[in-house]
Amino acid sequence: MARALASFRPVFVAGIGLHPYQKYSMTAYVALGLAAVREALADAGARWGDVESAYVASAMLGMAPGRPMLRHLGASGLSITHVENASASGSSAFRLAAHEIASGQSDLVIAIGVDKPAMVELGVRQAGLDLLERDRVAAFTHFALLAQRYADAYGATPEDFARVAAKNLANGARNPYAQRREARSTEQILAATQLAGFLTSPQSCPIGEGAAAVILASEDGLKRLQLDRTRAVRVLSSASRSERLYDDEAGFDAALTEETVCDALRDAGVSPSALDIVELHDAFSVEELLYVERMGLCDPGDAPRRLKAGHFDIGGEVAVSASGGLIAMGHPLGPTGLGQIAEITRQLRGEAEGRQHAGAKTGLAHMVGLGAVCVAHVLQRDA
Amino acid sequence: MSIRIEHPTLYKEGEPGPVLLAARCTACSRVSFPRQHFGCEACGAHGEAMAPAEIAARGTLLSFAAVRKQMGADIAAPFAIGEIRLDDGPVIRCTLDDALNEADLRAGQILVGRLAHNPKSGADVRELRFAPEGR
Repeated sequence: MARALASFRPVFVAGIGLHPYQKYSMTAYVALGLAAVREALADAGARWGDVESAYVASAMLGMAPGRPMLRHLGASGLSITHVENASASGSSAFRLAAHEIASGQSDLVIAIGVDKPAMVELGVRQAGLDLLERDRVAAFTHFALLAQRYADAYGATPEDFARVAAKNLANGARNPYAQRREARSTEQILAATQLAGFLTSPQSCPIGEGAAAVILASEDGLKRLQLDRTRAVRVLSSASRSERLYDDEAGFDAALTEETVCDALRDAGVSPSALDIVELHDAFSVEELLYVERMGLCDPGDAPRRLKAGHFDIGGEVAVSASGGLIAMGHPLGPTGLGQIAEITRQLRGEAEGRQHAGAKTGLAHMVGLGAVCVAHVLQRDA
Repeated sequence: MSIRIEHPTLYKEGEPGPVLLAARCTACSRVSFPRQHFGCEACGAHGEAMAPAEIAARGTLLSFAAVRKQMGADIAAPFAIGEIRLDDGPVIRCTLDDALNEADLRAGQILVGRLAHNPKSGADVRELRFAPEGR
């Protein structure tokens, strides 16, 4: 019978590091990635030579960007594996790193996400089939179609969607790593450039550049390398799925999210109501409303009311996208899923200065990637 | 003037309206659009089991969006995209008739396809667009 992550030996996040997410610049990806790795090593109190294996996530860089970057830390000969899983690349790198620790193969592993904007051909366009919609259905149109369906089903208003961006931009303004650091009112968001349907530009995530690194350790590794056990955060579960055929074919993002998060919560032995911090794939505002409902954080159709009442604020019932989410922190693709892990770790340690959700103990990270794929992790600090 | 179809691998003229070029799985009956013989998404049958089928360009509107940001060079924004469950099963997303605006559209409407002129294409080129039945 298949075994869950928690049935193997425990896995801990021992260190986190980021290069701030930002607009495209002339900075080499190597400089972005090294900044995140060095910050993570310092945070963990670990030496590069102790890292046995690296998973390098990117979706827009060329083939094999890992070693040209990592050699500058000292060419230690460690295992390097590249991971591309669209928007979930960083999440999948973290999952692979966690399993390498859990299996006993390694005691100290790093997952690194690094990316810079570039034109990349999509697999679906190379699959040998013509597409009826061609270039006319951009990502914002896909999510505008979902927003219209949500409005039809529950009577949601343009303000309900814009309010997601207002909350996440306010959170991002308190996050020094965020690409968008300016809070905006719901009215300002509604008055911004229109994309499609209900969606305006601040309700869409910026795709820029940046890096995120997470160092994972076993209990043996923490002890042997004398890393700070009190700041280590446990990885309780890891779930990864892909789209199958659903009765509601057009609502696959939410259906896939429900299945994957359900797996992650079940394997962690955690109920939705026990979550204090949720970092989710809010590439577009409507996604947050859809996903919090399908994750079981509230009833179907109730997300706009709860959002307006502050239930998803920092200091509310559950802080959703405390980092600013993809909408404010940004979505540089490779780093994004690892940036979520960094934010959750910081929150569970009680170190999220300026945006700390008081008493945070348990967190969920969730990413959806093109395909569609979905990856979710549950993290928890020791009591 | 004879007309040319913008995407002849996807649809063609038919009676009473255009038809979509699909495949029907002979093992489980699931209809795939676009036509393909790589394999059935429901049961995995492939090759000759994926029998060519022509299906009606008619279905139910699930959702719609007015696209206001310019996308690509072959159509001028604003334009409308509809998400349509075809009577034969597949869910497609297709450009809607030029003359429509959001007030004309409601989920649950029956839409039918027609071959329409796109001002961005040649005068003899026709592409598939959907509009509410009877309009």
